[in-house]
Amino acid sequence: MKTRILGFAALAAVVVATVVGLLVVPADLNQGDAQRIMYPHVASAWLAYLSFGVTALFGILWLWKRDLRYDAVALAGAEIGVMFTAFAIWGGMMWGRPVWGVFWQWEDPRLTTTALLLALYVGYLLLRRLTDDPERRATRAAIVGVVAAVDIPIVHFSVEWWRGLHQTATIASPERALDPAAPMVFVGTLLGMLGAFTVAWLYLMIRRYQLARAELAREEEARLGRLRAVQVAGLSSSSQETAR
Amino acid sequence: MTDAGFVIAAYGVILGGLGLYTVVLWRRLRAAQPSDEGR
Amino acid sequence: MTALRAEARVALAIARKDAVAELRGRHATVSTLFFAAIVLLLFGFALGPDAARLAAAAPGLLWLAVVFAGILAVNRLHLLETDDGALEQLAMYPVARRAIYAGKALGGFAVMLVLGLVVLGAVGVLFAVDIGSAWLPLLATVVLGALGIAAVGTFYAGVTVRLRAREVMLPLLMLPILTPLLLGAVKATSAALAGDPFGELAAWLQLLIAFDLIMLVAGAATYGFLLED
Repeated sequence: MKTRILGFAALAAVVVATVVGLLVVPADLNQGDAQRIMYPHVASAWLAYLSFGVTALFGILWLWKRDLRYDAVALAGAEIGVMFTAFAIWGGMMWGRPVWGVFWQWEDPRLTTTALLLALYVGYLLLRRLTDDPERRATRAAIVGVVAAVDIPIVHFSVEWWRGLHQTATIASPERALDPAAPMVFVGTLLGMLGAFTVAWLYLMIRRYQLARAELAREEEARLGRLRAVQVAGLSSSSQETAR
Repeated sequence: MTDAGFVIAAYGVILGGLGLYTVVLWRRLRAAQPSDEGR
Repeated sequence: MTALRAEARVALAIARKDAVAELRGRHATVSTLFFAAIVLLLFGFALGPDAARLAAAAPGLLWLAVVFAGILAVNRLHLLETDDGALEQLAMYPVARRAIYAGKALGGFAVMLVLGLVVLGAVGVLFAVDIGSAWLPLLATVVLGALGIAAVGTFYAGVTVRLRAREVMLPLLMLPILTPLLLGAVKATSAALAGDPFGELAAWLQLLIAFDLIMLVAGAATYGFLLED
């Protein structure tokens, strides 16, 4: 099966990228070994934002086409996105402690925006969990997902402003190692890690999508089963719908 | 904790988390497949 | 343009209906005000008694109190959807959906504005903050903040109609979205009170205006989907 091959490719790519990032590439002159954290941290962050872009886009597609398969993709994006967001924050904190001296830094707009991203999409997932009717759930989720996606650039922008006006000295940020002056070997390793993570992301998205469809089918089965049971029992079938 | 500790903590949680999620997905997929008669 | 006028009339009718229900005793405004007052008191106990520290924190405390109380207000204002089916009836006319959103947001804005002004006054008294000459930019900030909270609140009230665990989900969904508004309002308030030494006040007010516009448009555009059943 093609997906299985994709999975193996992802595994191989991640292993190679990790070995390179941990053992092959040299440590940074300024940040030392802590800079190695940047590779999975940045890769996770990019995939987090990609995932939520997918969620917002497929939410819109649901609202437009009313095909629940689009909603299944949106759900996959949100769940996987939350995971990568958590990874990005964790990576940021693990990087921050050795480099900044603290686990958290309010003036780093990426870190704080990403934390907010986590809050927004945890809310999205909870909202889905609390809605039983598939179409209602898809609609609510799509709308919340789109508004959340719209809010993210506003948040980033305002946090940057917030920080900028504080006028402190430059704080080191993980992305600084990405500037054009960085040695090619660092950039190359980062791109490699990003590529590996993206392949893994794709594999997980496919699997999560499949799971979403399977669970949707079960939901539908269960619903029909209840309906039939009631009919068979000879009760009136007028008051079917339970809490939606 | 030395720098190396933080590096290991970072990679460990991220890669471990990916692996864990993958395994959980597999199990949930397997659980959702069996009763396929209605399709 | 008559379609637009019809919409405006619907919106105003809804806002008026909410206002009448308020005055007749739904007490959303009164209980919300009391809640805000209690929150301010608690802030005083938690962060005081050093007057200088409280005065420095005042803009933040002001807007935290407004946001938290605002969530309660939104919750109460939107009990209407669950109580009677009038809203769903009205929602059958597609043109009216934007108007429903506008009407409810307008009603919410009125409540939030009252809330904001009262809290502003209370903060001035409790935390020894001199509002005096900065009253105009402060008023602008309160108006813009109130509008933003109303826009976002009305939207999420629509999302959580008939949702289980609504009391928790409404703040959980609203608060992260409100972060830019909180940032902007606190910064604008701060700048206004200090006499705008860095000339940043205008920028923060512009942020608030942009936020309000975006949320109003998003709310009006999507409210229809939420009322559909």
